[in-house]
Amino acid sequence: MVSMRALKMGLCAVLCLSAVACGGGGGGTASNGGPPPPPPPTNNTASLIIDEGPSNQSVNTMFTSVTVCVPGSTTSCQTIDHIQVDTGSYGLRLLAPVLTVTLPVEMLADGNSLAECTQFVDGYTWGPVVTADVQIAGETANSLPVQVIGDPRFTNIPAACSSTGGTEEDTVATFGANGILGIGPFELDCGDCDTATNGLYYACAASCTDTTVPVNMQVPNPVTHFAADNNGAIVVLPSVAAGGASNVMGSLIFGIDTQTDNASGSETVLNVDDMAEVSIVFNGQTFAQSFIDSGSNGIYFADNSITLCTDPSDPTSPIVNFYCPPSPVDLSVNIQGANTGQAANGVMFTVGNAETMLNNPFDAYPQLAGTLPPGNAGSFDFGLPFFFGRRVAVAVQGFTTKVGTGPYIAF
Amino acid sequence: MDAGISGTSPSQASGEGVMSPKPDKEQPKLNQVTRRRSNLQRIFMPTFQLNDRKTVALGASLLIAAAVLIPRVALATLGQPEITVQTDVAQLHAAIKSSQDRTGYRVHEIQLPSGTVLREFAAPNGNVFAVAWQGPTRPDLRQALGQYFDAFGSAPQSKFSDRRHVQIEQGDLIVQSGGHMRALSGRAYLKSAIPSGVNLGDLH
Repeated sequence: MVSMRALKMGLCAVLCLSAVACGGGGGGTASNGGPPPPPPPTNNTASLIIDEGPSNQSVNTMFTSVTVCVPGSTTSCQTIDHIQVDTGSYGLRLLAPVLTVTLPVEMLADGNSLAECTQFVDGYTWGPVVTADVQIAGETANSLPVQVIGDPRFTNIPAACSSTGGTEEDTVATFGANGILGIGPFELDCGDCDTATNGLYYACAASCTDTTVPVNMQVPNPVTHFAADNNGAIVVLPSVAAGGASNVMGSLIFGIDTQTDNASGSETVLNVDDMAEVSIVFNGQTFAQSFIDSGSNGIYFADNSITLCTDPSDPTSPIVNFYCPPSPVDLSVNIQGANTGQAANGVMFTVGNAETMLNNPFDAYPQLAGTLPPGNAGSFDFGLPFFFGRRVAVAVQGFTTKVGTGPYIAF
Repeated sequence: MDAGISGTSPSQASGEGVMSPKPDKEQPKLNQVTRRRSNLQRIFMPTFQLNDRKTVALGASLLIAAAVLIPRVALATLGQPEITVQTDVAQLHAAIKSSQDRTGYRVHEIQLPSGTVLREFAAPNGNVFAVAWQGPTRPDLRQALGQYFDAFGSAPQSKFSDRRHVQIEQGDLIVQSGGHMRALSGRAYLKSAIPSGVNLGDLH
């Protein structure tokens, strides 16, 4: 514990933006005479950093650090850096190759081990669901279900998982992070896995077959399991120079309206639908399946009038499908919440030349934008650039704050 | 296996959102092509228009089915005859929700138990030229993409890619996908197999 504290303090000294944010965690001692002072507030703020990540090629990807302990232990613990913070997914997932503690696998009532096949757009991850005491900043979630990706104890990926297609992302290199912290506006990574088998959760003995899972064993958004500050989270990122910047620092604040540092103000509250989506009106067209998402590394939308970087028929270029206008293009959208009358109108953004930007070895690019294929014609994906210069709150479904009830996003 | 959800109701058509207006004069032409192609395959699509030769056609189609299935190739759909839509339905423990004719092609909408909808697009020549999916999880793409499945997994990822977008072009195959956890969508199609006049934006 001493070493953990020292590590945290060291991290704070390097990373923290405010002394107040790092002041929590110590035990209060009563002074002589008079009533004891109130306990210090829980440190609810973790540092964010946008850098090149463990794959050395991340762009517009923000990371934080997470400490995991074997449940009940204060010594079998490990702090893992470069956990991607993702408002477009749910749950904590850790890459087995970076884990040095052995976390216990969840066992179903029938004695089988529980594993998960997590689907991302570009592929899938496979590995057991374990439990861990999880600490982020001063917040703690005990015995939290967490997926371990690429666990050497679970190497037989069921065909039903691999058949969902795409890349197997079970290494740090293929995953691009040491883990992922999904803090989107729902509690669970599955809508109905307690009653339906849909290829996400598997019961494993000699082999694995898909299974239903009690809700309390599913991998949840860890925020919802914190002892306090558990109704959502706030992402705060600074403005970034148009051409880009390296090692951009920000804050991940847990809770909304639970402490002085996470109070709601005059922000616009937009509820999201049961897909965590909003409507975005752009160029007079309404994109009803749109989302604001820190896990998207650019602003992705279809606009035939903006020059693409290269011929789409050249799949070898890494910047294919990004926009490369000869000069920056200023645009705006209206964002409409799921509830009647909720709107943020005139939200500005700029599309820069991706080739020019990405030629510089930066990590954060506020003007990085790309096209969506016609098959995703219903979406406007407002990714990480949306978060620059903003304070964006994500409230979880069913939780109430002073300005609304989740699921909502507010900024 | 009845015609109760024969698929060209206005509500379904309007639900497709971005469909282009269809010039009426092209309809008869398509129907002629379709009928010439194969009544046998038509009847295998249970929700499509019934005709009074159903019984005869069903028997014949079973023979066709046997001929197609005996080699037990990858039970593929993309690039395969439309009859394999039915194979997909069986393999995926799914149900055909609707089948509808559009100008220049036909769409079979398959409802999967997971809540995901899989759409398979058949050209007048009887081959599936595109598949598209939308829902909380991806469908069994090994089934739906058949021989093209491996290309999705083996394609090199772009240096600047994230977890939310896929655009793959390998030879004749295009795979495009987007979305986020609990809401994934995408499509795969064969460039050379797109019937003339089909708007790519309608394939979703």
